[in-house]
Amino acid sequence: MTPQAAFEREPARRVFASEFRETRYQFKEGDDEKSPNYVIFPTGIRSNRIFVVGTLTEKQRQGEQNIFYRGRVIDPTGTFFIMAGSYQPEAMQQIARIETPAFVAVVGKPNLFMTQDGNCLVSVNAESISVVDRETRDLWVLDTARETLDRLDVFGTTEDSRKAQEEYGTQPDLYRKIVYDALTQIQM
Amino acid sequence: MYVMNLSEVTERISRKLESSGAQPDRQKIESRLRRLVEEFGVNIAEAERTVTGDLAREHNLPNLVTSSSDLRPINEIVPGEWVTIEGKIVSLTPSFSPSIAQNGIIADSSGAMRFVTWTRANVPAMGYGHWYRIESAVVDEYRGTPNLKIHSGTTISQMEEGIPFIPSITPIMELKPGVGSVRAKVIQDWDVLHERMLQTGLLGDESGTIKFVIWKEEGKEKLEPDGVYNIYYASVDEYNGRLSLALNTAMYIADEGDIEVGRNATEIQGALVHVAPGSGLIKRCPVEGCNRSLSRQNYCPVHEIQPNFRYDLRLKAVLDDGERARNVLMQRDLVESLVGISLEEAISIAESNPLGMDEIFYRVRNSVLGRYYTCSGGEFAGRMLVDSCTPVTFKPQELATLLNRAGGEAA
Ligand SMILES: [Zn+2]
Repeated sequence: MTPQAAFEREPARRVFASEFRETRYQFKEGDDEKSPNYVIFPTGIRSNRIFVVGTLTEKQRQGEQNIFYRGRVIDPTGTFFIMAGSYQPEAMQQIARIETPAFVAVVGKPNLFMTQDGNCLVSVNAESISVVDRETRDLWVLDTARETLDRLDVFGTTEDSRKAQEEYGTQPDLYRKIVYDALTQIQM
Repeated sequence: MYVMNLSEVTERISRKLESSGAQPDRQKIESRLRRLVEEFGVNIAEAERTVTGDLAREHNLPNLVTSSSDLRPINEIVPGEWVTIEGKIVSLTPSFSPSIAQNGIIADSSGAMRFVTWTRANVPAMGYGHWYRIESAVVDEYRGTPNLKIHSGTTISQMEEGIPFIPSITPIMELKPGVGSVRAKVIQDWDVLHERMLQTGLLGDESGTIKFVIWKEEGKEKLEPDGVYNIYYASVDEYNGRLSLALNTAMYIADEGDIEVGRNATEIQGALVHVAPGSGLIKRCPVEGCNRSLSRQNYCPVHEIQPNFRYDLRLKAVLDDGERARNVLMQRDLVESLVGISLEEAISIAESNPLGMDEIFYRVRNSVLGRYYTCSGGEFAGRMLVDSCTPVTFKPQELATLLNRAGGEAA
């Protein structure tokens, strides 16, 4: 990474829920307190922000003092768990107003945490949540399919994908199948 | 007769550049020399100086540029200097102020610059198309561009007809505020919304596009749609960080041929992932040439409190294609069409709603955030200034292509 890349906003990566759910590896770029945290997805790209479009099927308001919302966003492959807390007031105000079910676009940061029984849970800390339409959802599936296939095309040749291979033992054909299945759901 | 001489000169220029590590193209040097000498009647010594200077700049070798006495090429002058120049008056524009006797554009073979003559300077008026030596003028900055001030300490002397030169053409994407010459095609002819305006639209060359305007004035003619023109000495103005060309100072001549207008290089498609504060309805400083957006308290960072602000709509956002996140800036017309709200409606909503201008921010945000757009425009200071923006639509062909890529045998 070049130094000036640090000042450029990180792109929001496109990833399907079934791949996102498998994510467990994270690392910090640099030693600085403010250095960004990245996860590496199984198809081999680092990410500290993602863009998701799907159906918000449920939301729950939680917490007494520190109010936050949990939500579930469904894509053709599975479920994203969304969190919106007071640290991101914009996202919290937005989700509070949305009536489920609704097509939503979520921009947020991948968040990994270990449960007491040693399981790794992956969620999205939302920066914003907005209501969109079905066409936007379909466009996102195409976009995410394309980005995932692009990653698979160079799998094993990039630093991040070699790391993914090491951490996850990724089988590219499995992810091609996931992409294919996701695409076939658009036509319905 | 000078064939011999030209090849000698070519050789001399090439060696000079080669000794500085450059690899010049001899054929190109000779054809440039020939063009100056044969087509423009430039003498060989001056042609050698001009071509050497041009190539030195192109190869980034500033030390090669010859300087004769204290005379300065116009394109090297920066604000804050006292200068002596020799140039030709290529444009004169009417003065609207009694304190200004004359203003216009003076040019030499290196470039062109606006000038202003104060009435108090009490110097003879300069004539269009004539050459002058101007000693001890001062260069300052006017709206971000160098401007030559002719004051009472300046000496002006008319010269013999100077050396003919061709105005140097600048690619549109490399124009800077000031004076510029372009070879461009008229690609859009827009409706004129102002009674003083003769024509406005979009010009394009291989490098990009730029808005142009011609104000009504005796003798000024419209450009033909799709026509290709050599436009010499237009004023390059900056407004909200975006450049435009005013052709009233310019001479424009229809040219042969066509231009493949370069627009695709700056087209991006992606999801709009962030709407920044300062989007929606804003207030702008009314002081001429300022136009900064005002704070909530109607405060301009330069002109302080401005109660007679004017409203505007804009969108500052991030368009993200999954590989790169880019800042984009859209002006009123695009915001109106993307959000489906006119400036007038936005003002009346803001003035009657308890949330005021925030209400417009939310409406703008809610209608664009998370959606896919294709935007094109020019890059300026790390931001795309969007000329056109259209929502992306679903194309079954793309689905078919991706299904093939993912491997259809899976079912
Ligand atoms: Zn101001």
